[in-house]
Order: sequence, then C-alpha cells, then structure tokens
Amino acid sequence: MIDGLRVSAFLAGKALQRGNKGTLVLTVMIIALVFVNLVFLPSIVAGVVAMFNQQSVDYNYGNLVIEPRENEQAIEGAGVLVRRIERIPGVLAVSPRLTAGGTVTFHGTSLARSVIGIDPSEERRVTRTSTRMIEGVYLSNGDTDAAVIGRTIAGNEDPRLDTQDSLGGVHVGDSITVTYTNGAIRRYLVKGIFQTDSYSTDASVFVTRRELEGVTGRSDQASQLLVRTVVDGDEEAFRLRLYSYGVQETVKTWQEKSRGIIGDVTNSFAIINLISTAVSLVIAIVVIFIVVFINTVNRRRQIGILKAIGIEPRLIVGSYVIQVLVICGAGAAAGLVLLAGVVQYLTLYPLRFPGGPVLPVVELLQVAQSVASLFVVSTIAGYIPAWKVAGEEILEAIRG
Amino acid sequence: MIAAEGITRVYHMGAVDVHALGGVSFEIERGEFVGIMGSSGSGKSTLLHILGLLDRPTSGRLEVDGVDVLGLSDREQTRFRLRRLGYVFQDYALISELTALENVFLSSLVRGAARDEYLRTAREILEEVGLGDRTDHQQYELSGGEQQRVAIARALVNRPAIVFADEPCANLDTATSRTILDLFARLNRELGQTIVMVSHEDWHRRYFCRVVNLRDGLVEGIEDQPCVPHEDI
Repeated sequence: MIDGLRVSAFLAGKALQRGNKGTLVLTVMIIALVFVNLVFLPSIVAGVVAMFNQQSVDYNYGNLVIEPRENEQAIEGAGVLVRRIERIPGVLAVSPRLTAGGTVTFHGTSLARSVIGIDPSEERRVTRTSTRMIEGVYLSNGDTDAAVIGRTIAGNEDPRLDTQDSLGGVHVGDSITVTYTNGAIRRYLVKGIFQTDSYSTDASVFVTRRELEGVTGRSDQASQLLVRTVVDGDEEAFRLRLYSYGVQETVKTWQEKSRGIIGDVTNSFAIINLISTAVSLVIAIVVIFIVVFINTVNRRRQIGILKAIGIEPRLIVGSYVIQVLVICGAGAAAGLVLLAGVVQYLTLYPLRFPGGPVLPVVELLQVAQSVASLFVVSTIAGYIPAWKVAGEEILEAIRG
Repeated sequence: MIAAEGITRVYHMGAVDVHALGGVSFEIERGEFVGIMGSSGSGKSTLLHILGLLDRPTSGRLEVDGVDVLGLSDREQTRFRLRRLGYVFQDYALISELTALENVFLSSLVRGAARDEYLRTAREILEEVGLGDRTDHQQYELSGGEQQRVAIARALVNRPAIVFADEPCANLDTATSRTILDLFARLNRELGQTIVMVSHEDWHRRYFCRVVNLRDGLVEGIEDQPCVPHEDI
C-alpha cells in the first residue's frame, strides 16, 4: 500500500514537474476560477444579507424592540420603563417611539404614511439615521413644528427618477402638511432629509415625540421602545435578561422583526446560492474531467508502457488522482489569493446595490466547504478517465 | 524456460477472423539468445506479445520459467511481468517525463526496493550499457541508440528471467543496430541472460543461438546454430 503510494506519488510528481507547464498553469487557473465562482457569489449574497441585517439594527429596530402587551395599543408609563431598561447591564440606550397614521401632502401630492415621533437625543444613541443626513440637520428635542423625512418620500421633481411613490421633490426649507387620522392637521418645516438606503426608513417621516403627543393627546406613551445593546449578536439572551428584570411588555429581537420580507429575501438568496453552488460544482466536474480525460488520452501509450513493465493499473490511476489533487490544491490556493484580491478591491470600492453598498462577506465555513467539494469532485473527475484508460488492453493502449 | 504448445491467436475483425498464429509450438532453454524471424505479417510480434504476457492467445498452452502463465489472473500476470520479464520495444517506449536513471529504476521502485539500492543498481546497469554519463538526461536529450540502451537497462534492472525485444533495431541505423546487438550478445554471454528477440533483418541471424522462423503464423523451422558461448547460470 505504502509502496504503491510511493510509486503513484513518484509518477505524479514527475508528470507535474516535467509535463507541459502551460497546460498545468491553465488547469490550475481554471480550478482557481471555479473556486472563486464557488465562494464569490455566496460571499456577495452573505454581504447583501449582512447589509439588510445591519440596516435593520442601525435604522429600523436597534437590537431589541419592546412592544405593547397583548391587546394593548401603547406602552403606558414609557418614561419610567425607559429609565428601568437603561439601567439593565449591557443596555446602551433606549429610544421610545410613538407612531400615528396620517396623510402627508406637498404641493398637492399626498401619501398615506405613519408619522414617527421620537426623542431625538435618545434616537441618536439607538439608531444611526441622524448620521445619514443628505440635506439640512436632524431634529432637536425642542422641535415641534419641524420634521425630517427620508430621501425616498422626499422624491424628485422628475417622477421618473423615483423608485417609489414620493412627494415630488421636497427640499430642506419646504413645508409639508400632515393630516392625522384623528383629524388634526399640522404643517411642518422640513428641517432635514436623510438617506439610509433602508427602504422602510427612507420612506418615513419623523417629528418629535413631544409634538406627536400634542397632536394625539397621548402622554407618556410609546408605540415601541428600541433598545440598543453594547454588544451585537446576543439579542436572544438580552430578551431573557429584560424579562428577568421585570419587563412585562412584549420583547422582540431585530431578527424576529425582520422576518417577513427580509426573511423571504434571505431565503430566496439561500436558494439562489444553492443553485449557483450546484452549477459551479457541475462546471468543476466537467472541466476537471475534460482536462484529465485529454491528459490521459494523450498518455494512453505511456500508460500502456507502464502496464507492460509491470505497474498495476491502480498505481497508474493513483498517480493521476494525486496529480489532480495537487492541481486542485494549487487551484484552491490560487483561488484564495484571487478571492482575497477581489474581496480587498470590493471592500475599498463596494458594489452599490439598490439597498446600499455591499461588502462581500467570506465565511470560513463556506471556504472550507468549497475546498472540500472541489477536492471531492476533482477526485471523482480525475479517477474516472484515468481508470478508463488504465483498464484498456496493454497493446491497444501502446498503439494509441 | 519457455514451453509454447499449440499457441493460436485469432483477431475478430468484424465478420472476418484473422488467424495471426495458427498453432505454434517450440521451447526455449535458459540462457539462450533466440531470434524469432519472419517477414512482415508472419506473426512474430504477435507471438512475442503472447510469450511476454502482453496479450493472451486464443488457445494453447504456455509455460514461462516453470509457471503456467495463462492460468494467471491479469493482476498476477502484471506481477509476473514485473518480477520475471523484461521488455525492449521497437520505439524504445521510455517514459518521456523521466530521466534515463528514473526510467531504469522505476520497476525497482515498484518492487519496493530501498532508495539506495535501486539508485545503485540503476546506475550500475546504465554504466554497464555505456550510459553512465547520461543518467540525468531525459528522452529528448538522448539519441535513438542511447534511448534503446536505456530501454535495455530498464529491462534488465530487476534481473529478469527473460528479456523480450520487439525489433529493437528497427528505428536505428546499421552501426547503432550493431552496437545494440553486440550489447545483447554480451549480456547473453556474460550474464547468461535469456533473450528472445523479434527481427526481420537477415543479418541479425548470426547473433542468435536459435532462430524460430515463422511464416503465415506457423513455425516454418527452428535453426540451432553456434552462438557466442556463455557461462551457465
């Protein structure tokens, strides 16, 4: 067995060392590209998912969302609850939000929207919307006649430039009118316009919670509390911690809140990913099979000679499998270098998706799986043609 | 050493059966340098392939070095070839990616010999065939005669019972052919190496101890002739 391996390794080594270098380099590059193909699309998909997830945390929900108890419309005593939650270890900040339905009108264009009332100073600590102002400035705590609105709802004078319904080109300094569902009508000066690239946030209108309390007549109430934790990724444990500290309202993680359209998008990407991986592996099998097949067919005579001098077919097949594994290893290594270059480039110059810039996320498990699958398919694709040629009659093989 | 009895070989070419060998019987003794001669199409290469276990006869009985080789499985035949037989092909049949030395020691490596041992043996044999200074050259760096001498060294490296040579001088000029035949004769004379060689060149005849003449797949005659004396093994 070990002697056999020694012979196969010897033949493989010499074939690689002294065979056609151009073919060798080409084959390694093909494998490298197949490897990149196996990892790149999943890394982009993972990047898109990561972008959506980050947007969910940064602009929509924070880490956790506290909602009214079952059968209740609002969180009562929001101020006390906010202060209680802020004292829980690991909580960075809490932002109460009050929402009210209404119709927003600008120059005769009306859109039905929920107006969100926020405490600007708290909201700044929980979400990052205040850092994404493209015009004007963010709200201040004392603002009552001002609003900040998203880029999408602000829109453009030319409706062809809009991706969703908009107010037709609102700018800072313009006034918008909000007709609330309770019949109250308010006119707000647009103080700022933000662009977060989050679809839902960019279609929102923010005023201060104090203003909305005045409009709705609700006091010390919140529709939801957004909670930002010091560390991301431990939301489930924090939910239990909030309950253990006596929070009786419903606590949801951002992941739960993001289910629905984001979940559907993520699942759709996962399916696309699976199909892409399967196609890439089939391409890998076909390419490696063709390369090894041509290689073995071209060496039929040599294989015949090896058999004639007493080398068993299994050793000959072994030498081809070792060659394929070495080529595959080199291809995977070259692919890793190539991938690192591409990832580095796309980190500096991210792909701009409609939802925002996407950085590729290369997961170690994905890389390991791709390398493993590449080795498996290479072994199969290398074994079959070598076994076929090595099984030929000696004289037939020698005669080519 | 070799006992062939009623060896036939029929090739089925579509609807036509081609009888390459029609029942060949003869014996070869240990230490002989035997020539199998005949014109093109006489079946001499087919016979050599069968004797060398590169092909199986359609019928007949064949004993090589005391073994009923036709009863061996393919794998057993492969091992038999490795350990007891050596081959020299018409067109050298070297492995192009290996150096002269590597071509020679390959079958020792397959036999599981230690590195020091197979390197020493291969160098000695290459020295023996006059290529001691060409060990690290690849096939493309060697002349036809040198390549054939590497092939002879490869055939001898495992000290085989019999060396089969299939028209080893067919691609060589007369002077180089003479060098190769002299080498065979010397190996036969000095080492007592049994050699079975196919040739159609009449002037080769004088190198052989016995000549098996084939015609249309049948033994036309066997000539015993004075050969270069050799020591008994």
